[in-house]
Amino acid sequence: MNRRHRQTLVVSLAALIMFVGTRVETNAQTRVSVGVTETIETHNPYGDSVSLLYGIWSEVTGPFCTYSYGKGDFEGRLAERWKVENPTTWIFSLSKNYKFNDGSPVTAEDVVHSIMTRVIKDPQSKQKASVAPSIVNAEAVDKFTVRVITDKPTAPLLSFLCDRLIVTSKAAFDKYGRAAADKEHMMGGGPYRLKELIPGQRLVIAKRPDHPAAKKNPRAPDEVVYRVMRETEQRVTALLNDEVQIAQFIPPHLRQRVEKSRNLKITPVDSVEIMFLAMQPKPPFDKKEVRQAVCHAINRDQIIATLLEGFASRLDGPLGPGQYGYDANLKPKLNYDPERAKKLLAQAGFPGGVDVELQTPVGRYTLDKQLTEAMIPMLNAAGFRARLLTPEWATLWASVQKGTIPFYYMGRGSVQDPSAALHQYFHTGETPRIGYSNPKLDELLDKEQQEFDPKKRRQYLSQAMSILTDDAPACFMWRHKLLWGLNNRVEYQPLPDARIYAIDMKVRR
Amino acid sequence: MSAYLIRRLAGTVPVLLLISLLVFLLIHAAPGDPTLLLLGEETNAAEVARAKERWGLDRPLYVQYLKFLAAAAAGDFGKSFKYAEPVIGVIKTRLPATIELAIFSIIIATLLAIPLGVWAGSRPNSWIDNLGTTCGLFGISMPSFWLAIMLILLLAGALNILPTSGRSTYGVAGPERTGFYLFDSLMQKNWPAVWDMLTHVFMPALALGVNMLGILMRVTRSAVLEVMNEEYVVTARAKGLAEKNVVWRHVASNALIPVITVVGLELGTLLSGSIIVETVFAWPGSGSLLITALNARDYPLVTGVVMTYTMAFVAINLIIDGLYAIVDPRIRY
Repeated sequence: MNRRHRQTLVVSLAALIMFVGTRVETNAQTRVSVGVTETIETHNPYGDSVSLLYGIWSEVTGPFCTYSYGKGDFEGRLAERWKVENPTTWIFSLSKNYKFNDGSPVTAEDVVHSIMTRVIKDPQSKQKASVAPSIVNAEAVDKFTVRVITDKPTAPLLSFLCDRLIVTSKAAFDKYGRAAADKEHMMGGGPYRLKELIPGQRLVIAKRPDHPAAKKNPRAPDEVVYRVMRETEQRVTALLNDEVQIAQFIPPHLRQRVEKSRNLKITPVDSVEIMFLAMQPKPPFDKKEVRQAVCHAINRDQIIATLLEGFASRLDGPLGPGQYGYDANLKPKLNYDPERAKKLLAQAGFPGGVDVELQTPVGRYTLDKQLTEAMIPMLNAAGFRARLLTPEWATLWASVQKGTIPFYYMGRGSVQDPSAALHQYFHTGETPRIGYSNPKLDELLDKEQQEFDPKKRRQYLSQAMSILTDDAPACFMWRHKLLWGLNNRVEYQPLPDARIYAIDMKVRR
Repeated sequence: MSAYLIRRLAGTVPVLLLISLLVFLLIHAAPGDPTLLLLGEETNAAEVARAKERWGLDRPLYVQYLKFLAAAAAGDFGKSFKYAEPVIGVIKTRLPATIELAIFSIIIATLLAIPLGVWAGSRPNSWIDNLGTTCGLFGISMPSFWLAIMLILLLAGALNILPTSGRSTYGVAGPERTGFYLFDSLMQKNWPAVWDMLTHVFMPALALGVNMLGILMRVTRSAVLEVMNEEYVVTARAKGLAEKNVVWRHVASNALIPVITVVGLELGTLLSGSIIVETVFAWPGSGSLLITALNARDYPLVTGVVMTYTMAFVAINLIIDGLYAIVDPRIRY
């Protein structure tokens, strides 16, 4: 290479480095980018059933109502108020201030259309079981009143509808058809409108400044970009580079990288996802003593203090503080006591120990594999001969759903109100996930679902959870504290259910 | 030539049939149930039964396969369970991103590997040969997912000169016409978007192309070493040609045939490698689509993407065979 070539090469490289260093600037007023872990794949708001999307679509289209963790109760939004006319009939009164992007009001017809046509009857909907499991009919009483009829008394109906029911325009659906209405004419009554969706990459929403909720919080960002970032390293690096201003789910071992930056902070929040060890009542777990021995064998406090670096809250029953029906005085408590575990195993007829296989997902929950690895020596110290299996998630989940896994580590999310989760895992015949059956528990769970007096309902729930803790078809482990990385320019309190509401953010201009 | 082409095209039919059968059987044999994975945590038995009926999963496997085959023959891979849209349409929206990424990977790999290979092969056992061989070994041995994370940490993290992921910065690109961002941006003379696209594609293309780079470099070196001792090279030297001209005009051009074969074969590897790289870099191509489809056990979509890759692989091989005749006039079909 001669001198002239070398000079050209050096100049070209210098120009390239300068050019690469130049970031493209765009001209939004205020924009917050959020690194999220779930994929955003479809324009159809009813075509997926994942937590993140319920939040985003609720913000574009409503939400219908919401759960306030501060108050521990449900709050009205599009549905301003509601009443139970009789045990199977609910009346929802809509706000007259919610308007679609084209200025037309959101009416009872739109709510009925969304429930009946989009959620229940549309074969493309994947939300019927999550949003309207017991709803058999919805009808407009007048322009702003909706009557909802269920097939059985459903006291926890709001836990299905709030933060989940997406209300879209009937007029747009009728005029353009489903696909075009979703893709090109998405109409919502929420404080944000959908601006761009590139499946697998990003979703962008833009604020509607004229919306009542937007007027209440003028510092809410003008635009929010949700960027799919599945890798934790990627989310942390993007946060450090100011590519994103909010990053979901920073694992405890990476938090120090974020905390070292003066512009960033870590905000922990107690998740409403309950983590547990499930045990099918088949040998050896058909004996209550064996199930209880498992619960006594695991030192939850030690695992939380070491592997989780304190970023989890121990569960002594199915629920923790802030969740509906939580009872701080719930008894019994199956504390860490390996000697008791050994005695219980001996009582169950296994004085020499017993072989068990614990199955866990890998990478689905915070440090799931590492946490269950730590449980194995604890179980062995208590007299079990435990082995850990780590099947791929789709395989494990399908087997759990079919009831073929006897012993597994699992999480159940979105437990603001525990009714659905308790029925799903512990009520006789609901699902084969655990295959547990206890007539007394069934009776209590049926009663709580039909009881509209909150005080009585909490009592039934508490009694049911007491039976569960004692009979131990599952050992309740902890709720993770989810770590969110936040740029100091953004004020935001993440929610325990991991939904993201841009309208609650405040951006420093 | 045309008889040869017809023969080759006819030969692809059993290949495609066999692949379709294998993919269909394997994906159905894999544990996991799309209804249970797609209908959400709170689904119940009645919902699952309805979905199975709707998606045709309640029918015998051979009926499902024959139905798939009949539709595929008419260019229809069915409807995706997850997206509730025709599989062909879903793949069409994602394929340009993968092709764009593969093109950049090839450019990076060939631009670096061929000069390095020629240089190393023409100076055996020199320091440049040792360096080139080491680079080649490094490229072949490096797992793309690990390299991808390292590139993010270095170029996006420590140096902060490239974006961590994605295909473009929001608000920079103009309206999408063809799905090929670079082409669209060039046509619109949107230079910031061109630059933005290049900064986004560099890391994934490098992570994807490094393996190909290693292989190409080693193949080029071997081919050059072989050609260096040919009589026409000795003659060229005897005529007094400068060594530079001997190497680049006479040696390199004649060493290209095995290199073209490897480029063709490696194109298929690039497509499969893109599955990992696209996932790490949130690159919205058909590779990340395949991962999403596999995780959801979206049978029609998985089969559709794999069949698309198979057809691409077959087409690439045909094109490569055609290129032989252009590069080496002695080859005639």
